Amino acid sequence: MTVEMSTYVVAEVSQQADLVKTIRLLDVPTAMPGQFFLIWLPGIDEKPISVSNQTSAGTEFTICGVGPWSTAMLQVEAGDRVGLRGPFGNGFALADNTLLVGGGMGVAPLRYLAHRLMEEGRSFDLVVGARDASSLIFREEFGRWGARFATDNGDLGHVGTVTELLSEMLRLRAYDSLYACGPEGMLAAVRVIADEHEMAYQLALERLMKCGIGLCGHCCMEGSGLRLCVEGPVLTREMLDGTAEFGLPHRDGSGRRRT
Amino acid sequence: MVELPVTLAGIKLHNPTVLASGILGVSASSAALAVAHGAGAVTLKSCGAEPRLGHRGPTILPVPGGLLNAVGLSNPGAAAVAHEIRDFRGRCEVPLVASIFGRTEAEFGEVAAIICDAHPALLEVNVSCPNVSSEFGTPFGLDHDATARITRIVKDIAGTIPVFIKLSPQAHNIGSLARRCQDAGADGITAINSVGPGMAIDVYTRRPILSNLSGGLSGRAVLPVAVRCVYEIAQNVSIPIIGTGGITTPEDALQMILAGATAVGIGTGVHSTGISIFQEVCRGLSEYLEESGFTGLDDIRGAANDR
Ligand SMILES: Cc1cc2nc3c(=O)[nH]c(=O)nc-3n(C[C@H](O)[C@H](O)[C@H](O)COP(=O)(O)OP(=O)(O)OC[C@H]3O[C@@H](n4cnc5c(N)ncnc54)[C@H](O)[C@@H]3O)c2cc1C
Ligand SMILES: Cc1cc2nc3c(=O)[nH]c(=O)nc-3n(C[C@H](O)[C@H](O)[C@H](O)COP(=O)(O)O)c2cc1C
Ligand code: FES
Repeated sequence: MTVEMSTYVVAEVSQQADLVKTIRLLDVPTAMPGQFFLIWLPGIDEKPISVSNQTSAGTEFTICGVGPWSTAMLQVEAGDRVGLRGPFGNGFALADNTLLVGGGMGVAPLRYLAHRLMEEGRSFDLVVGARDASSLIFREEFGRWGARFATDNGDLGHVGTVTELLSEMLRLRAYDSLYACGPEGMLAAVRVIADEHEMAYQLALERLMKCGIGLCGHCCMEGSGLRLCVEGPVLTREMLDGTAEFGLPHRDGSGRRRT
Repeated sequence: MVELPVTLAGIKLHNPTVLASGILGVSASSAALAVAHGAGAVTLKSCGAEPRLGHRGPTILPVPGGLLNAVGLSNPGAAAVAHEIRDFRGRCEVPLVASIFGRTEAEFGEVAAIICDAHPALLEVNVSCPNVSSEFGTPFGLDHDATARITRIVKDIAGTIPVFIKLSPQAHNIGSLARRCQDAGADGITAINSVGPGMAIDVYTRRPILSNLSGGLSGRAVLPVAVRCVYEIAQNVSIPIIGTGGITTPEDALQMILAGATAVGIGTGVHSTGISIFQEVCRGLSEYLEESGFTGLDDIRGAANDR
């Protein structure tokens, strides 16, 4: 882990959807799936981003333009420099016979997870959901692993939510545990389903993060106080049990609770 | 095992470690995390009258020997913090220190009134943040007269709640400044806030890295500055001191206590040593007392000042 800032030249930029791009950097410290780096765009801001893949060809980060920093990141070109520090957080523990559940931008860390599970010869299935077919990123890659898709508008695969698809998969066969990343509402639904099936799970969450190193307190979960940047961002049932705010609005940059 | 209780302006701590302001302490839950890991008391992040989002990132930047921070006093506003204080008291026994700042002398009073209504165990007054000078001007804490006036304003409002003034190592003659605070009614001194400010530049993009350009230095590198400040303050006042700055080991905490501190503030050490730092410092202090044949921290406090 490098906690100090270093800048890296962007080796390549690719585009996955209208507002989604992936940057590839070279010689980035080794990370586990589910871990993240803080990426500094000089003059703009610094934000946490999960690793979307890491191979000998470099480390990829996939970013969706939703606000000032992420929109500016979409302008980054090969040859530009961005600052990086990390990896931070706990990451996913790799396991056998699992089902991966991804929604929206949550598919980015699951992509790296799937690559690593493949590499280690661990069996898994995948269900992925998005608003519509055009925002379903990495579709071909996921398709190669036999992923099943859900779209809200029925463009592709199951018409409806990825959690409906999850329930269907669990009726078909048994998995030892679930991995999930996506909007918190989706994660809350996954947790309910996992509880019904008494299955272990690892959910990757997001909170506003100012430091990534366990100091500022902004990413602490209500109740347990768990720091999502150190003890998380991947939480298990045991870790979530003491947490009061899962699936609810959380704090903004001032520390004020959103309502 | 030698026990480590200390009394800070009448407030009992089961051990002398205090979570410093701005580390965790955004919410009751984040402060409670430090309690779960053994902190003897916790300080909340400084709050003002209105919510502030703080500076854009990077705001907290590890550098060799410590870190630079220019968070920009982000806080949810005094009313929301009062709520967190009540929430904390509902679930933790250890004393809670609330920390306040103001853009004007009058605002210190307004914020103190809102916070004291929630009855924190102690009230700390941050007159020394180095990271908002572009907006607030020079910290009040560098001006002895202004610091004395703010002390008086806050103490009048706080009544029986002990008031600690948090000083900057940049203050000229920190010993006599602490004395002015004591004369103005302060019940204790917290020293030091972060040092500098300092700056780190990325050599490839050729820019300062912090969005605020500069930020206060904390962590290992500042320990000797903090120890010297605490030593000078102890020679000038009879009120207790929370010695803060650069503590990462039990020996660091011992230096502070030998310089005259009653309690020790821990901030950056939560990152560099880890959240186990509170327990590690306590274990080390206890072992030191035992090995040297002392029965408590009272036996060694300020010992370095005796010669
Ligand atoms: C551990 C962790 C990993 C992350 N990994 C990724 C990643 O791999 N890819 C990625 O694009 N982002 C990721 N994020 C989110 C990212 O850090 C930023 O929050 C996001 O890029 C928005 O920043 P911004 O400054 O552009 O917009 P902001 O001003 O912060 O947000 C603009 C608006 O968009 C909303 N918003 C924030 N994030 C999202 C989102 N992901 N989807 C929809 N709306 C959102 C905000 O609530 C706000 O209303 C991750 C966050 C965490 C904590
Ligand atoms: C990220 C960060 C935020 C801080 N915020 C505050 C604050 O809001 N109020 C305050 O009085 N001091 C603040 N400080 C200063 C610390 O409380 C402490 O005085 C200083 O960091 C020196 O101690 P340390 O070396 O143990 O960190 C902050 C320090 C850091 C590192
Ligand atoms: S982001 Fe600062 S404590 Fe987690």
